[in-house]
Amino acid sequence: MNTRSSTLAYGLLGALPIVGLLALWQAIHLSGIAPPALLPSPAAVFLRFFQQLGDASFLQNVGVTLYRLFVGFFVAAVVGIAAGVVATGSKLFASFLLPLVRVLAPVPKIALYPAFTLTLGYDDASKIALVIADALFPILLATYQGTSAVEPKLAWSARAAGVSPLRTLFTVVLPAALPSVMTGCRIGLVISCIVVFLAEMITSTNGLGHLLMRAARNFQTVDMFVPLIAISILGLLLNSAFNALRRHLLRGFPEEK
Amino acid sequence: MSQAELTSPRIAAEERNALRQSSMISIERVSKYFDTRRDKRHLALSEITLPVTRGEFVSILGPSGCGKSTLLYIVGGFVQPSSGQVLVNDRPVEGPGPDRGPVFQEFALFPWKTVLGNVTYGLDQRGVPKAEAVARARALLAMVSLSGYENFYPKELSGGMKQRVAIARTLAYKPNILLMDEPFGALDAQTRTRLQNDLLKIWDEDRKTVLFVTHSVEEAVFLSDRVVMMSRSPGRIQDIIDIDLPRPRDRASLLLDRRYQDYVVNIERMMDAQTGDHS
Amino acid sequence: MVLRRFLPALPPLLAFAGILAIWELLSLYFGLDGLPPPSVALRQVPVILTDPQSLFDIVDSLRRMAIGIVLALVFAIPVGLWMGRSRFAAAFFNPLLSVIYPVPKAALMPIIMLWLGVGDASKILVIFLGVTLPLIYHSYQGSRAVEEKLLWSAAAMGMQPPARLARIVLPAALPEILVGCRTALVLGLITMVTSEMIARQTGIGNLVFQSLEMGIYDTVYAMIVIIGALGFILDVLFERLRGWLVGWAEPAQSIIVGST
Repeated sequence: MNTRSSTLAYGLLGALPIVGLLALWQAIHLSGIAPPALLPSPAAVFLRFFQQLGDASFLQNVGVTLYRLFVGFFVAAVVGIAAGVVATGSKLFASFLLPLVRVLAPVPKIALYPAFTLTLGYDDASKIALVIADALFPILLATYQGTSAVEPKLAWSARAAGVSPLRTLFTVVLPAALPSVMTGCRIGLVISCIVVFLAEMITSTNGLGHLLMRAARNFQTVDMFVPLIAISILGLLLNSAFNALRRHLLRGFPEEK
Repeated sequence: MSQAELTSPRIAAEERNALRQSSMISIERVSKYFDTRRDKRHLALSEITLPVTRGEFVSILGPSGCGKSTLLYIVGGFVQPSSGQVLVNDRPVEGPGPDRGPVFQEFALFPWKTVLGNVTYGLDQRGVPKAEAVARARALLAMVSLSGYENFYPKELSGGMKQRVAIARTLAYKPNILLMDEPFGALDAQTRTRLQNDLLKIWDEDRKTVLFVTHSVEEAVFLSDRVVMMSRSPGRIQDIIDIDLPRPRDRASLLLDRRYQDYVVNIERMMDAQTGDHS
Repeated sequence: MVLRRFLPALPPLLAFAGILAIWELLSLYFGLDGLPPPSVALRQVPVILTDPQSLFDIVDSLRRMAIGIVLALVFAIPVGLWMGRSRFAAAFFNPLLSVIYPVPKAALMPIIMLWLGVGDASKILVIFLGVTLPLIYHSYQGSRAVEEKLLWSAAAMGMQPPARLARIVLPAALPEILVGCRTALVLGLITMVTSEMIARQTGIGNLVFQSLEMGIYDTVYAMIVIIGALGFILDVLFERLRGWLVGWAEPAQSIIVGST
């Protein structure tokens, strides 16, 4: 009973700064310090956001962004997981891959975006390529670190049952590393979400990021906030959906922090 | 080189061949080095030679760090020896195989699979029809007294139950040889005794060849036909003791048996003497 | 002896050579205007680095990045350490931080420019926002893991809470904080480049797109190489510093990924 009410109290405590910031925003708006052209009221922004959810062209732009986001993320996930697992299974492959990763991981991938636009054009392909480049490394590294830390006796148990090394890698080592792999994918997914939006802001003719830039050019402040809120909520939703999926898939694993 | 020849028992070629013919497992002059820091090598096993006959229950007994688990892993094909070889059924071991089933102290169950999924895994991978695999798994789970736990995850089981699952998982692919690496080492005393009794019961049914690594003298004497005593740094065979006790063995009467007590006391003395040498 | 000192640098160098080779082959195979071979593009690197205007832009970008990161360090580390030692602070800040987490920080650039203009303030603020979160997170993790008994003995010696935070928790959490700093460094560079690409006012990010729009493609690629090298060099230098500062601690994972 006591712990329950204290959990509730801490929950309310956590809501405080979020509500407080919104209240501060509303207060600044009401006080008239900032003209509405610079800072619209939060009510106006959220009203506009919910209006837009019924707007076909807005939803179409959301669709464009989602398409780029998911294609990029899935390619990154498949390539990253496969490369990470194979690097654990093959010392030779690892000795090729790891130095490459060492050089490329700290490189700001956004710098490659101009090169992608030059070679792949200004449409979907260059944005997808950037999403892949950005989401790949966290997934690959989490997979490699997770799989190389798997207790060898799990793999031995499979090998002793007559299972081939390659099959063991994918039916035992990879599932055993799932907690780490899923964490890498979750981080990669949120990164994909952010990066696709930024790419659309830099050069695009559609998508949520483009909507922000279009509004900025026309000084429509309310419409600048709406895509930003949309992409953040999308990120939050994907993040928690992925966490739910993770809990389901990892139900057999011992509790981890 | 010459020193190794002096200190290890040399076996004449004919003698070795004679041994091989009756042996299920033949460990022949196996040594294992581990590379440590600063280009130094640690000799974990030195010139181990040990034949094991079909249906024999052999315990490898020794202090921690004597390489007894490493020796077992080499027989399992999980670890390569630095020199020497292991023959199983007259064929050199080149890797793990379903003729040798391991059971580890850490259980090594697949956490993402249920109890049933763990036991059927090896069968599924080898293309055994689903219904057949499930039927065999259920029978084995009944044998280790785990009927009704098919859909539990390993984390929901106690240590003793986990080890029963691991044993069932290994028995599922019908190995001729069981390689048991301190299988009851992580269990409390009571559970340990129960599992020892159960293991002997299961073993009595088809008398598989067993290599059993332990550091408990009582456990080794209670279970085995032969106890191989190993010494440390480098790991080598100190002595081999035949345990001439009747089977099937019953714990209660054995504990009262003078011969059992003598075996335990003598082996403990020999081990004390050996550690005394080194410290 | 000399060989052994330089041996660890060999695989990354080979990897770099491999990347150049693949680039050269791709450029030969496709023959695109938009993909000049590295032999041509790399020739522009010294040209850019000796041009006073470009060099000024690059150094100016790095200056803003450094200010943004230092401000974030000053703000984020105490907050993170406090969160790790106080259940109240953790419950207070955690939900807010998880709401802010998926917001693309560099995307705030147009809005912030409305408020603060096109000067340094906007650019520094965006970098500050971009690197604050991972710094708080890692300081929080580091401080949470500090042994309780360490603090008890400090309290028994009569040390007050703020002093305990500074003299016990901070050093004990330092290895984890430095992992956060490494992420922040790479992330600061990313946020800087991205926000400059969006704002198109000054700086490295702007230089890239300026040359892109003027169709000087070899300069575009040379700039990409310079930015990539900056990321790699900053990371390597920081690793040196980290090893020197916390040589006593477990080595952190050898590769980290800076993004978000």
